[in-house]
Amino acid sequence: MGFILDGLDVEDYDRSYGDRELLRRIGRYFRPKLPAMVLVAAMIVLHSLTQSAIPLLISWGVDRMEQGSVSDIGWPLAGALLGIGVLAWVFNFFRQWFSAKVTGDVVLGLRTDAFDAVLERDMSFYDEHPSGKIVSRVTSDTDEFANVVTLTMNLLSQVLLVGFVTALLFFRDVQLALLTMAVTPIVMGTALAFRRVARRTTQHAQRSLARVNANLQETMGGISVAKNFRQEATVYSEFRPINRQNYAVTLRQGFVFSGIFPVLFLVAGLATVVLVQVGGSSVLGGRLSAGDWYLFLQAVGLFWLPLTSIAAFWSQFQQGLAASERVFALIDASPRVVQEDAQPVGRLAGRIEFRDLTFGYEPAHPVLTRFNLTIEAGESVALVGHTGAGKSTLSKLITRFYEYSGGQLLIDGRDIRSFDLREYRRQIGAVPQQPFLFSGTVADNIRYPRPDASDEEVRLAAMRVAGGDWLEALPDGLGTDVGEHGRALSMGQRQLVALARLLVQDPAIVVLDEATASVDPLTEAQISEGLDVVLAGRTSIVIAHRLSTIEHVDRIIVLDHGRIIEEGDHAALLKAGGRYCEVYNTYFRHQSPDYQPGTGFVPVAK
Amino acid sequence: MSAVTAEFTVAGQHRSDRRGPVRWIASHLRRHPLVLFAFLGGSVVMVVLNSMVPALTGAAFDAVLGDGDGRARELAIVSAALLGVIVLRGAFDLVARLGSETLAKRLEREARDELYVSLLGKSQTFHNRQRVGDLMARAANDIRQLSHMVNPGIDLIVDSGTQGIIPLFFIAVIDPRLLLVPCLFAVAFVVALWHYMRQLNPVSTRMREQFGDLNAGLNEAVRGIEVIKVTAQEPHERRRFAVNATRYRDSFVRNGLIQARYLPPLLLAVAMAGALWHSLTLYGAGDLTLGDVVAFMGLMGLLGFPTFISIFAYSLVQLGIVSARRILTIMNTETELDRNADGHSGTMRGEIVFENVTFRYDDGEPALRGVTFTARPGETVAVVGETGSGKSTLTKLVPRIYDVDSGRILVDGVDVRNWNLDSLRSQISTIEQDIVLFSRSVAENIAFSLGQRADRADVVQAAQDAQADEFISELDDGYDTVIGERGVTLSGGQRQRLAIARALLTDPAVLILDDSTSAIDSATEDKIQAAIGRILQGRTTLLITHRLSQIRWADKVVLLRRGELVDSGTHDELLSRCALYRRIFAHYDEVDVPAPVDGVEATGEVPGEMTVDTDGEAGRRTSANSEKAVAGDTDGPEEAVVV
Repeated sequence: MGFILDGLDVEDYDRSYGDRELLRRIGRYFRPKLPAMVLVAAMIVLHSLTQSAIPLLISWGVDRMEQGSVSDIGWPLAGALLGIGVLAWVFNFFRQWFSAKVTGDVVLGLRTDAFDAVLERDMSFYDEHPSGKIVSRVTSDTDEFANVVTLTMNLLSQVLLVGFVTALLFFRDVQLALLTMAVTPIVMGTALAFRRVARRTTQHAQRSLARVNANLQETMGGISVAKNFRQEATVYSEFRPINRQNYAVTLRQGFVFSGIFPVLFLVAGLATVVLVQVGGSSVLGGRLSAGDWYLFLQAVGLFWLPLTSIAAFWSQFQQGLAASERVFALIDASPRVVQEDAQPVGRLAGRIEFRDLTFGYEPAHPVLTRFNLTIEAGESVALVGHTGAGKSTLSKLITRFYEYSGGQLLIDGRDIRSFDLREYRRQIGAVPQQPFLFSGTVADNIRYPRPDASDEEVRLAAMRVAGGDWLEALPDGLGTDVGEHGRALSMGQRQLVALARLLVQDPAIVVLDEATASVDPLTEAQISEGLDVVLAGRTSIVIAHRLSTIEHVDRIIVLDHGRIIEEGDHAALLKAGGRYCEVYNTYFRHQSPDYQPGTGFVPVAK
Repeated sequence: MSAVTAEFTVAGQHRSDRRGPVRWIASHLRRHPLVLFAFLGGSVVMVVLNSMVPALTGAAFDAVLGDGDGRARELAIVSAALLGVIVLRGAFDLVARLGSETLAKRLEREARDELYVSLLGKSQTFHNRQRVGDLMARAANDIRQLSHMVNPGIDLIVDSGTQGIIPLFFIAVIDPRLLLVPCLFAVAFVVALWHYMRQLNPVSTRMREQFGDLNAGLNEAVRGIEVIKVTAQEPHERRRFAVNATRYRDSFVRNGLIQARYLPPLLLAVAMAGALWHSLTLYGAGDLTLGDVVAFMGLMGLLGFPTFISIFAYSLVQLGIVSARRILTIMNTETELDRNADGHSGTMRGEIVFENVTFRYDDGEPALRGVTFTARPGETVAVVGETGSGKSTLTKLVPRIYDVDSGRILVDGVDVRNWNLDSLRSQISTIEQDIVLFSRSVAENIAFSLGQRADRADVVQAAQDAQADEFISELDDGYDTVIGERGVTLSGGQRQRLAIARALLTDPAVLILDDSTSAIDSATEDKIQAAIGRILQGRTTLLITHRLSQIRWADKVVLLRRGELVDSGTHDELLSRCALYRRIFAHYDEVDVPAPVDGVEATGEVPGEMTVDTDGEAGRRTSANSEKAVAGDTDGPEEAVVV
């Protein structure tokens, strides 16, 4: 029945558009389709006219029969009925076909624009908004918008039909027409009241269903534990009342939904009774012809179904408009990263310099204030520190995913804002904690940064990571399907693929966020070997979580609240006994192969 | 009745017919004869009454247009009769619809109950082999589908079926000759509908698939946006999206075209014209009254109803049967090994011997090939290998979740297949990577193993030994805190310690522990490792672990690769003789990795060219190695190997 009952979610990039602006925006998508739209509109009017012509025709026939001249009109009447029926079908055919075309094209246009917007948005946008909701704006919301188009067209034809029939009735007999109209508020009122009750019972039912499913999930997930200890009866006794309650609640909901049509049908039936009696008396009194009487009886049948959908229309229409509003908000969200120039980048050496840089995710709370750091070309740097120290902030600024508010960020001595962004990013290799793989094969993913890379190049890249022996653990080697989001591969294998992908990309700067998830030691060793190859000769910034990494980088930078509080290499920093040692004791101590619980502390100088 | 023997049954539960999906559904529906009767009877009576409406309308016409004086009285009688019919029609309509609704929800309730009981009755083996959580997620939808099948599915079919047939009787009562047109119409309708479905089905299926592709592609682009941006592949993605979106649009339009070509309304128009002509001809011949014509045309109008509803209803019923079949498949599956009640039973010491064990799932590649090793009572054996190397398969063979294909596994010198299954399993505990906790109090979760018979002191003692006492005390209600309620959630490490406490209460001779979770900080790790250290004491443990220190300090290491045993022995033995094992530790300064005979060997079975690759480029790491780590206990020399 299309009642959409959940609430709307609001995101902070949502904006409200004035109704006029919204309609203007929507109109822009329809304008190229104007001829088709006119055709559809004409078809709707014609279809409604034919629909209302049928009862008119029959009533005319009834009149003629009453006058006893039926033999003359039998053929023409049946012929006219057939002709009108055929015309109605033809009109409807064109209406549906062309409205499908228009809707399809408009939605395609809207979707394409929305997707372009998705690609243009800054990374901050993606950090702030869950991907599922962004996706639903491009697919579900545009779809809902399309529904509104269809819905509006249907409504139009129904309103027209009701309008034509009403006009006809008033033309024939005002008193009886008013009587027929009396059914309108009852049907509309019933439909609206139903919606209110339905909304409430549906919410109850959904909640109850969620409870049943949660119970099922939990007990079935833990069933081997329950069985192990012979606790089946306890588990069942918990399930039973929940299932019973679910029955009671969903039955109530079902009664509401199943009850509405019989009730509306009854109302229409009672209207028929009244019309039979009152209309019949009018005919007897000579105020009404038999044909008109028949027309009124038919009208009730034509009336009540459109009325229910008119009652439901407004809120659905509103939801559709809200959906289009959400799509436009996505398209119109303003970018935060602004390039001042688009100079060609050339091959970078990879020297990075933060100069008096100030940045905050919210301007009022700067994460970095007048931050200074220089990383030489080819140097490997590990960033360590507690959560919120600003480690990932640095990497997000280097990849130019976020805009800073003060100071400068220089790459090879040039302002990062002056670069052609695409060209610049092509020389940045970024590996997140959970590397993302596209569905397809391992080879497809390695090739991703350079679609024209040859099979041999891909194979060589894979072989250079840990000697390529990780491929042997994959069922089809390079041809292995990685599954949706790489799910067919273990986390460690995904990291190995990401490393090979970096080799194909061949960036000057690598920004790596080490995984905290545990990986089996063999794969871990392969990743370490792969890193040696990938990072060699490139500037690398590693947000370090692994002991083996910090033991080997050129320089470790200890960050705290956006400030550098210590730097140096692992051994020197350990000797110094400063803040690094605290960090080591907190995060790295247990990773030592010689670790035993409660041991391995390094001394911290007071 | 099925031959499945359940481990759990509920007294007095209805025994359904599980021989086929339709029989199964029918056997459930038959349990509610009264409701079923209300539904079917109500539907028929309702349609009969509904068909009387045109007849009565016709009678009203005859009354009004007839001759005689009592016309007004006659009209009033007809109106009164009509009122009665309509009120009754409303009442029976309501009874029928609510009846089918009740039937639907009862079917849902009972099917869920039956499935639940059946799953509780399945053997341990079944549950260990199936991913029941996933199964259940599907079953939840399937059960709802059953309800939809009855209402609106079957409800609509009964309703529209009776509406398609009963008016024919009324037409026949007026004049049997009038049946000509509606019968021709019915035949044409069925043919047209069949044709329509045949055209629409593939297109709408394709449309659904393409929408899925569109969504999946988009989802991927949004999730992988970082990769797209850093590799500047936006144009590529834009093209891909455009292709998907255009494909969907084309199918959408094609779908619209087919729907626009839906023929039955046209057929109905032809039928109405034919009916009118036919009835007028009979009227002209004096065989019908005007009221008869009105009634007949009204009845023809009723025949229209089934045309618009049928497709939707049939697909619901089809889906319902498919769902029922899936549910039945779950309920009828049984995978139990011979329980071997007469087999060996006794107190286990905990010696485990694998002798040339080979095992494969179904008919795939062997997951384990010729694995041989021994774990002596009380030893901790670290099982090390890549994902898919057969680690967890190996541990599943000991409590006989699966049986070996060749070779054998001995526990205390007795082949596991000769053990009494209950005795064997009750002395082996498994702590999996995903710890299952129930929505009950912490204390009940710990004491779960003993069926709540353990007293509080034992529970607290176990929690203390498992290093869980501290965080439990910090919860709002301590040991009585209900997990999962009011947002009480536990971290992986905390869940693991609760599982360890649970196992401490059971005190098994053999423990299988999958410790692949990671702790972010060392303090948490201290607690987890202390708890694990405690549970390992005095029992044989197969420990699946990623932690180098656990491998390092285990009594024995079993190193697996692609289902084969690479080597097994103590840490020092393996370090000195196994290149693959050395490779694991090569990146750590702390471990004294002995110099291999030559550089190639350090990389294990890896082809030689790999070392050539790394040789030149790995200078960064080796140079950093020149400083000695002060953290480790060892005082080894610099790494001599380039890895």
